Amino acid sequence: MSRDLTKFLAEWIAEGGSRIGQIAILATAAAFELRHDEDVSRDGLELFTKWEDARALASRDEAGKFRPLKTAPNLRRGWRLVLADAAQLRKALDYFYPAMLGVRASHLLGNLVPVPLRETLGRQTGMYAVTKNIADQEARAMVDRFCAGCLKQRLWELAAANPQPVQVQAGKLPLLCHEACNLLVAEARKVVKKLPAAK
Amino acid sequence: MHPGTLMIARPDSALVIVGHGSTVNPDSSAPTYQHAEEIARRGVFGEVHCAFWKEEPSLRQVLHAVDRDEIYVVPNFISEGYFTKSVIPRELELDGALTVRGGRTIKYCEPAGNHARMTELLLHRAAQIAPGVPPEKTSLFIVGHGTDLNENSAVAAKREVERIREHGLYAEVLNAYMEEEPRIANWDRLASQPNVVVVPFFISDGLHSYEDIPLLLGIASEGREIFRHNPYRLRGRTLYYASAIGTEPLFADVIVEQAAAFDA
Repeated sequence: MSRDLTKFLAEWIAEGGSRIGQIAILATAAAFELRHDEDVSRDGLELFTKWEDARALASRDEAGKFRPLKTAPNLRRGWRLVLADAAQLRKALDYFYPAMLGVRASHLLGNLVPVPLRETLGRQTGMYAVTKNIADQEARAMVDRFCAGCLKQRLWELAAANPQPVQVQAGKLPLLCHEACNLLVAEARKVVKKLPAAK
Repeated sequence: MHPGTLMIARPDSALVIVGHGSTVNPDSSAPTYQHAEEIARRGVFGEVHCAFWKEEPSLRQVLHAVDRDEIYVVPNFISEGYFTKSVIPRELELDGALTVRGGRTIKYCEPAGNHARMTELLLHRAAQIAPGVPPEKTSLFIVGHGTDLNENSAVAAKREVERIREHGLYAEVLNAYMEEEPRIANWDRLASQPNVVVVPFFISDGLHSYEDIPLLLGIASEGREIFRHNPYRLRGRTLYYASAIGTEPLFADVIVEQAAAFDA
């Protein structure tokens, strides 16, 4: 086995890790409890006890709207999820913030390669092939507007890696974006085809 | 559970199930997640992950979430096509069926829908939706999308219809499509039997199975409630309408077996 992300997670918590995105992790001797970070001292939260419950909790925002981007800052509140061990915690976190633990681990190991937007758009085919025609200025404006609704730190720029170093806050797992997501590629298609932008 | 499924154990391998996903609703990815959770519960693989084209984790992210060095990738698609042949290999940077990279071995398996047991699943779903209805007095429709883009899914649907016919169980087994001939809208003219069973040949429920096909069948659209009001009595027939075949729980077996088939 090349890696052990469960061990990585347990060690990160043992060293004081307690926040991922909008999630607070409250570790006790017997269990891990997850809450929205604004619900840490709130009573009367609905209790969930299975890692699979994280999928439904992450699926829709407060208004019941589907969340295709899990790192959008619109995680619903009002629940707590109690899990017995780090293996279950890892699975739950992969529903709340898909692959973010592993991406951070790869980053620490030097195995995360940022991909510039031009490269991502350049390899698209089918209905997204047209995205490579986006002008530099349009692309920059789109990224500024669209990625403002995402908690990830962008490791790429238009034609190169982002020279900004990753910001790491104490106790918080950084959410890293090493390559533009399909949502942004789809947005680039709208820009090129002059379709209405996503709200 | 299929007897073969019991024999499969890959505790030192990871399974990655790849779905299309949607930016609009969670119904598209839901069956992929459900099958993954079922396979995880069985402990067949050391770890089970999902990845999506339109949702997270993306195909560019998912391999970072995997511990194990041997990785089976099974596309949860109804047939081979643009996504299984072009998009998934490109996004996962695969060299072909077998990719060895950075100490890892990635085994790219055939799509779930290609498995020989799909025929059995369709028969199972058809029997389940119309309990006690004699198949010898029933017309069974397998409904595909039917556009040029989904040419391969139409081919796969035709192949399944032929296989079900060979069983000789149903009075007739018919292909129909939403957007091309023979059209499902003409189901009452196409079917000769008093009972009609309609199974959508899709990987997940969504607008097609909740709204579009019910509209073409002439049954009121009630969202997912549409599957709970069988049978429908209209156009002089008794009509049973099933949810998409990809929501069938036995699909988890097919995904596991498609991974095992790689090594066979």
